[in-house]
Order: sequence, then structure tokens, then C-alpha cells
Amino acid sequence: MTYYIFTLVFFLFDYFILAMGLNIQYGSTGILNFAYIGFVAVGAYVTGVAAMPANVTGEHYILGLGLPFPLNTLLGGVAAMGLAGLVALITLRRLRTDYLAIVLISLSLVFYDFCNNDVSLFNGADGLYNVPEPLTRALGLSSNGFIIFFACLTGVVSLLMWLVMSRIMRAPLGRTFRAVRDDHVTAAALGKDTFRMQLKSMLIGSFFAGIGGGLLIQFGGSFNPTAWLPGETFVVFAVLIVGGAGNNMGMFVGALLVETLLVHLPAFLPDIPGHPGLIEYFDLALVGLVLMVMLWFRPQGIVPERVRRTPSFGVSEKPEHEAGRLDRTTALAAALGAVEPAAGAEEGR
Amino acid sequence: MPALQTENVTAGYGKTPIINEISVDAEVGRITTIIGPNGAGKSTFAKTLVGILKPMAGRILVNDVDITRMPGHQIPRHGLAYVPQNDNVFKRMSVRENLEIGGFVKKGDPAARIEELFEIFPDLAKAHAKKAGLLSGGQQNLLAIARALMANPSVIVLDEPTAGLSPAYTSVVWEQIARIAQLDTAVVVVEQNVERALKHSDLVHIFVAGRDHVHGPAQEISALDLPSIFLGRSHSSEAA
Ligand SMILES: Nc1ncnc2c1ncn2[C@@H]1O[C@H](COP(=O)(O)OP(=O)(O)OP(=O)(O)O)[C@@H](O)[C@H]1O
Ligand SMILES: [Mg+2]
Repeated sequence: MTYYIFTLVFFLFDYFILAMGLNIQYGSTGILNFAYIGFVAVGAYVTGVAAMPANVTGEHYILGLGLPFPLNTLLGGVAAMGLAGLVALITLRRLRTDYLAIVLISLSLVFYDFCNNDVSLFNGADGLYNVPEPLTRALGLSSNGFIIFFACLTGVVSLLMWLVMSRIMRAPLGRTFRAVRDDHVTAAALGKDTFRMQLKSMLIGSFFAGIGGGLLIQFGGSFNPTAWLPGETFVVFAVLIVGGAGNNMGMFVGALLVETLLVHLPAFLPDIPGHPGLIEYFDLALVGLVLMVMLWFRPQGIVPERVRRTPSFGVSEKPEHEAGRLDRTTALAAALGAVEPAAGAEEGR
Repeated sequence: MPALQTENVTAGYGKTPIINEISVDAEVGRITTIIGPNGAGKSTFAKTLVGILKPMAGRILVNDVDITRMPGHQIPRHGLAYVPQNDNVFKRMSVRENLEIGGFVKKGDPAARIEELFEIFPDLAKAHAKKAGLLSGGQQNLLAIARALMANPSVIVLDEPTAGLSPAYTSVVWEQIARIAQLDTAVVVVEQNVERALKHSDLVHIFVAGRDHVHGPAQEISALDLPSIFLGRSHSSEAA
């Protein structure tokens, strides 16, 4: 029982981190990063090979540094950033919105196939396993004790990352991201280097993806291509949209509702007799359904983006979030409509 | 020396030129207005001035600095500001945030500059915490103008700042434009309404089919047979 509860707690905090990373890219800057899960995977793999010793029989991988937590995880975050920088240099200068999304999803498929088939990098389809559980020996933890400890540790990490992210989003940088999102031509005419802004947003978001991935591989002790099917990106998007794009607290609410309650809780339910795995399939369909219902009835999410208020002139306004939301989310809905069925139904995570 | 000089600028989208060999100068304290029929290339010219489009030929100088080949986002630093034709505010951001976005050139806190602009635009002060998308069309235009002024530019390019406004609000906007010219700024306005343009500006250029058909002081332009020019029937070249 404790095991189940703290597994859910772990996924809540981990997806909170992942959703914050996607939120700065998509929610704040308008970059439709349909390759997001690829950056999570890089973070996970690199954290894994950074944590594991140089030689393990039966597994092939690069590095093998035997680095302790949190250094290995930080390296995973930095690696995801590095990949993001590369991807941004290739794509962001020339492409925007839907076109960028299509190219990103293609890149993530190529990258996926590569990792799945190339054994030398991250052990191919078998992936990495026996990844050391951080601090277990130092603290003398039992395996149940580790789950509890690591779930709480992830909570602390997510809290720190939330503080950092809130600062970024309130700072002039976050404001400029939103200006670029709303109208990149006007932002440029006001002296903003829109490419650099999008690059920065990609880097920050991917760091979050990498850290989230690094925590993921250490929690489970293994990571392989079935853990990051390209459709997983849309689970993070579902977290973001249900929670409310542009709002960090929304990411927590979204992670709670979508990742914890919809995606993971049903997996712990007993199977329907004679139909093993049926619940999980329903589950994914349900995520898709919730996504559609949200986009239709409440595109701004449960906790909508707020207009930043600065106290002066003693004028107070009610927060207003109905207007202007629809165009961007409809574009997304269209894009998701094209991709979601394949992502949800066929892959059956 | 005029704050803005353009010399034989040719520009367009892709490879086809839309505007040909345009030379327009604008001086501090004066309002230079560009009028002309729909599709004449007025907005294309404005976008070229501010670096959204790169000229195929010609030169653009701001305070004697050649900005012709400069990346668009560096141009505002040299004192050129732009107010786009439609949809010119960040709709999901507050009025104040819109202004803050414009305030990068001045180092330090933009708050003081915002207060100055709120004095010039009291409508905006009242709505400072409102989402810009919820302002009226006229207020949005004023906000876009105020945002451009945040950087204290020496040249401001306004593309149809009164488009779609009621006559009363059109007067308000023109009053503000006149005021801006007095604040040591060279003002370039693209305007649809010929009467207004002639009434408020110092110099007028009439663009027809991508060319500077005729230009001169407003009084002289008023004396021309404008309907024929707009319909492309006249062939006079210069009034001045
Ligand atoms: N983004 C674009 N791509 C290609 N051609 C364009 C683009 N924008 C405008 N044009 C073309 O350039 C020509 C001039 O357009 P422009 O917008 O400069 O006219 P304008 O004088 O501002 O007209 P209006 O008074 O209607 O605003 C038109 O023929 C138009 O079709
Ligand atoms: Mg125009």
C-alpha cells in the first residue's frame, strides 16, 4: 500500500517538473514542442549512464561514470539542454508553429528509432537497467524505504524547480517570452531577438525535461524505449492543457488529475477477469477524451494564465481569462486531433 | 539632417518588388504622411523601414546610421520605433506589461517612463492592469503608440493608427500624434483618410502602385486633383 501511494506521489512531482518545462516552451513562448518526451529520454539515459559504473556485463552504453546523485541527474539535465540547443539551431530559425511541430515530431521519431536500434549508445531496445538507487546505501534504506525517500526527494526537487521557474516567468525574460508567443513580428520590431528568446525557452524547458527524466530512471532503476513512446509527449500536453497553459500551479493540478489519477491510479486496479490490460487501454482513451472535453469547454485549463498585476494607481481589476485564448488552443487541438489516436491507441504503453 | 532618410528603396516579398525607388525623409518635429490607394505599398514601405522586410536596393539611415542591413531587432536601439497596422498589441498581456516590453532601450526600471506616458495617455493609466485585448480598438492603438514611445525614439513610424476608429477617437489619436512630433520626434504616418492627412501633416507623399507618385508640403498637395491621382489617371510627378 505504501508502495502504491508513494509511487503515485513520485509521478505527481515528476510530472509537475516535466509539465513546468513544457509550460515554459509552449505555455509561455508558444513553441509546440512535440518532441518533448525525447528530451526527457535524453535526461533519463544520460543520468543512467552517468550513475552506472563503467562495465556491467550484458549491457552496452557510453560513459559509465559512476557519478553520485545529484551530479548524475544534473548531467542528464544539461545533456537534454545540449540536445535542445542543437535542435533549436536546426529548426527555430526557419520554422514556426505547426511546421515546427511537424519537424520536431519527425525528429523525435528518428531519435526514437535510433535509440531503439543502436545498442552501443544506451543498450538499444533493452535499455538501461540496474541503475543504482541513489543514497540507498548511505542511508541504509530498504526497498520500500527507498520508494518513500525518493518520492519525497522528488517533491523537494520539484519545489526548488518551481521556485526557479516562477522567478523566470515573472522576470522580464518571462514577459518577453510571452510577447514573442503573442506576436513575434511586433516583438522583433520592439527590439527583441525572437530567435534567442525561443532558444532560451527551449533550453530552460529541456533542462526541466532532463531532470524529470533523470529522476524517472533512478526511481524505477531502468529505462528503455517502451518508457518514452513518442505518444508520451501528449500525456505531458494533457497535463498542461488540463492544468492551464501558462500557469505553474496549473501544472501541479494537471499532474495530479491527469498523470496521477488518470494514467497511474487505474494501473493499480485489479484486471477485469478475462480482459487483461483492458483498463489501461480505456485509460489512454480517457486521457484523450478529457483532453478534447477540456479544449472544447475550458481551453484555458483549470488554473488559467493570469494577467500579471502590478499594484499602482490603486486600480483593481478582476482577472479576466476568457478572451484571446482560443486561437492558439484550437491550432493545438487540430494538431493533436491528427496525432493523438495513433499515440494513444496503438502503442498501448 | 533629417532623422530618417531613405534613398531609392526598393523592396517586396520574396523576389518581386512591391515598392520601387522610394526616397522619403522625415525631420524631427514634423509629421510626414504617406497616403495612397489600397495596395499601393504603404505598409510594405513601413515594414521595410523598420527592418521586417529587407530592401533589395537603396539605403535607410536613422540619425545618419545606416540600418539597411541590420537585423530587425537591433534597429530600435538606433532610435526607430514602429506601430504596426492592425493587431498591434500583445492581447493577452496587461497594458502595463505591453509598455514594459517596449522599454528595453532605456536601461534600468521602465516604471518612471511608464508614469510619464500615463500622463500623456490617461486612458491607459485607468486601464493599466487590464488585458490589452479587452481595450477598445482606439485604446489599443494608443497603447501601441505609447509602447513605441517607451524607448524614446527619434523616429516613429505609425501604420494607419486611426484605421477603424470613430471620428471622435480619430481626432484624439491625431492630437497625440501632433504632440509626439513636438517631443523632438520625427513622425512618419501612413493614413487612409486623405482629408485628415492633409489637415494634420507637414509633408505628404502619395504612393501609387509602389511608387512615390507625388510629394510636397500639405498645402500644395491639397491643391492637386487627388481623385484622379488615386484612380491612377494623373501623371504629374512632383508638386514641390
Ligand atoms: N505578406 C505579403 N506577401 C506578399 N505580398 C504582400 C504581402 N503583404 C502585402 N502584399 C502585397 O503588396 C502590395 C502592397 O501591399 P501593402 O500592404 O503595402 O499596401 P497598403 O498600401 O498598405 O494598402 P492598405 O491601404 O490596404 O493598407 C499588395 O499588392 C499586396 O497584395
Ligand atoms: Mg497598409
